[in-house]
Amino acid sequence: MKKLLTRKIFFLLAAIGFLGLGGIGRAQNTIPSNGLPLPTPKIFLTGPDTAFFQTETPFVDHVQDRTAASVLIEIAAGRDAEGAFYALEFKGVREFEGMKDSLRYRPAAGESAEDSRKGVARILKLGLMRFVNKTSTASRIDISLQASVNPTAVVDPWNFWVFSLGGNAMINGESSYQSQMWMGNLSANRVTPEWKIRLGANLHSNKSVYSYEDFDYESTSDSLSVQSLVVRSINDHWSIGATVSASSSTYNNIDFNLILKPAVEFDVFPYSESTKKQLRILYAVGPEVYRYREETIFDKKKETLWSQTLSVSLDLRQSWGSLSLSLSGSNYFHDFKKNKLSLDGGVSWRIFEGLNFNIEGGGARVRDQFSLPKGGASLEEVLLQRRQLATGYNYFFSIGLSYAFGSVNSHVVNPRFGSGGGGGFMISF
Amino acid sequence: MDYRHLRVTLGSILLLIFAVLSASAQDATAELEALKKSAPKVYLDCGECDIEYIKNEISFVNYVRDRKEAQVHILVTTQHTGSGGREYTLTFLGQNEFSGIDDLVRYFSKQSDTQDDIRKGLVRSLKQGLAGYAARTPIASRLIVRAEEEARSADIRDRWDSWVFNIGGEGRFNGEESSLRNNFGFNLTANRITADWKLRIGFSSHFDKDSFTYDGEEIKSSQENYSADGLLVKSLGDHWSAGLSFAAASSTYDNTRRRFTIAPAVEFNLFPYAESTRRQLRFLYRLQWENVRYQEATIYDRTRESLWSESLSITLDLKEKWGSISTSLSGSHYFHDLKFNRINLFGFIQLNLIKGLNAHIIGGGSRIHDQLGLVKGDASLEEILLRRRQLATTYNYFVMAGLSYTFGSIYTNVVNPRFGRAGGQGMTIRID
Repeated sequence: MKKLLTRKIFFLLAAIGFLGLGGIGRAQNTIPSNGLPLPTPKIFLTGPDTAFFQTETPFVDHVQDRTAASVLIEIAAGRDAEGAFYALEFKGVREFEGMKDSLRYRPAAGESAEDSRKGVARILKLGLMRFVNKTSTASRIDISLQASVNPTAVVDPWNFWVFSLGGNAMINGESSYQSQMWMGNLSANRVTPEWKIRLGANLHSNKSVYSYEDFDYESTSDSLSVQSLVVRSINDHWSIGATVSASSSTYNNIDFNLILKPAVEFDVFPYSESTKKQLRILYAVGPEVYRYREETIFDKKKETLWSQTLSVSLDLRQSWGSLSLSLSGSNYFHDFKKNKLSLDGGVSWRIFEGLNFNIEGGGARVRDQFSLPKGGASLEEVLLQRRQLATGYNYFFSIGLSYAFGSVNSHVVNPRFGSGGGGGFMISF
Repeated sequence: MDYRHLRVTLGSILLLIFAVLSASAQDATAELEALKKSAPKVYLDCGECDIEYIKNEISFVNYVRDRKEAQVHILVTTQHTGSGGREYTLTFLGQNEFSGIDDLVRYFSKQSDTQDDIRKGLVRSLKQGLAGYAARTPIASRLIVRAEEEARSADIRDRWDSWVFNIGGEGRFNGEESSLRNNFGFNLTANRITADWKLRIGFSSHFDKDSFTYDGEEIKSSQENYSADGLLVKSLGDHWSAGLSFAAASSTYDNTRRRFTIAPAVEFNLFPYAESTRRQLRFLYRLQWENVRYQEATIYDRTRESLWSESLSITLDLKEKWGSISTSLSGSHYFHDLKFNRINLFGFIQLNLIKGLNAHIIGGGSRIHDQLGLVKGDASLEEILLRRRQLATTYNYFVMAGLSYTFGSIYTNVVNPRFGRAGGQGMTIRID
């Protein structure tokens, strides 16, 4: 039976694999993969005003002899039903053999000859990029838009709403161990520069069975949560918003909880620089309603508590490396002794060429574990980390140092015998 | 002379200039927004890119969330380079209005590059690849191409003759009142990788030390592993390679005091190796000799033995527009008794065949009949729960499957960092 199943799975995978193979064309533009860039394109340009176009494109070599060229470009004026245009024909020879392109520039009505000439030069430069991007010249070319543009300048019938639903399952096992995990999620998001709206629901169920000396140890944990976040942008430094979440979790002994937190955030750096640096200070305050699964160590079955949280997060991503640091403190208003202070962070620092240093860590001083069940936890629950345990602190950190030297600028890819050379890819869900 | 009158006139002239300037600026913005509506629609198929940074830096295209909506599908695949960096292959595939207009750009990162260096390099390559598509849309009229002065080219002579060395150490510490977990790792590698030869030599060690407190009693658990390995491969044309691997290892998990293996092997790739970043179908045959000394007597009453075995593995990796496939099937057996054998199957498929619908399945399984090193006595409960010992089993398997459907707005141009990133839910798997 098991054999049959293994065989079936194999043939299914094989069939899918070969179906895939059938649909594959040959790779186009097979440029050498030895990592060496091609030589700078040698352009032979024909058409009007060649001298002007040559001075506009100093990043390529211009040759006077067609036979010495690696890219032939012909610029010609023409006219069709829509009016006058300039046609630019690109043709690669030698190392660029097989590459060709044809582009057009259409002058606006009443445009001066000088403006048209500049317009053609712009299209010429853009057209040259597919040749230049295979050479070492590529490293000194930048292309940018004249001015910044609003990212929402598009025609969108859905008004930026995106809906998604998904499910995931995982099962694994061996003779003395079986485990299964089920997850489901639903989300509706709308993100624009002015508003950020995220609504989501997640369901998570986990079950493992261990066999030991004829006994089966079964261990389960389930959680269900619904979260929503609404944020309104005030200006380049301030935002206000609120989160509402409801959840249940066997790990935390929570049958049901509802948390409502209006919040305000200030970024010391402008939000527009967020991919390079941010220093965000977030303050949130609001009520939390709890109903426990088992009576807690404080003899409570349910309670409503108010709390406040202040967190400061710094994120830097610069040429020397990256740093992220987050400090967060919270307390409950009914008893200020019920509080928590946590610090998390990581640094990846290139000290100098070849020497990289990584440190990552986090720790918390915990004084707010009011959901701990009176009954305690079993040995399996402790070893498998299925229950929150009483603790005054927790921490983790990892530190790493690596030094590479030698021929570190080589670009050779050698995929033979796999491992370390094989293609890698990442899946996120 | 009526200075007051003059002042008013001057003021009104300035006001007029300002009004004209700001009106023309507003016109320019409105015009640019109109041009943006017809900018190329791009689907960026890249699991490792800093997408937000790219969207901020390249604003002359529109980003869409589904490949079927796009005019340009950019497939980014990576491979390791001999020097420990990565080769990023950017395959530009024109679709719909741009059907048939394709391009391929390569970008190389170095091992010591920071995330910022890598994302800047990728952005430059992406811009240059997108230029040809943007040139076909009206937004081209607002693009500026700048070239820096040519720098003196660096000396490219390689005095290390392609050798790359790496030394690394790592420690991980984890604790709370009733549990403490510490891990340490150390590794050393020396590689020389050229198109003709691949030589890898490595040494690594790993220690785990955990302790738990339960009912006032302390439970301690530890694990130690050492290994040294080497691989030498010679290229024999576009499809064939021959090689030799050796390894020496010690592991408490496997009950081996030391294990020494040496294995000649031969490999055939149905696709040319030059296409390996997008597709490979490799058949690898290995003949192996091993010498093992166990820590404790095995269930077969052995404390040491020397054995011959052979194995065959088939690996298929594909990355296409519609998704990716990575599967491998391998089988091995010992020669002294054919009953001692093992079959492993691993498969991963990710598909996006229908607009909005993404499916993935990852699974693996083994049929195991070669656990020669099992310890005679029983393992303790802690050893089982913490997976500190190899246990007798005839099989193991895992399957993960997921399905998601997304609909609504196709545009994903916006980067909004307020109140943090999306966060939390979901997970990422890296397959190498």
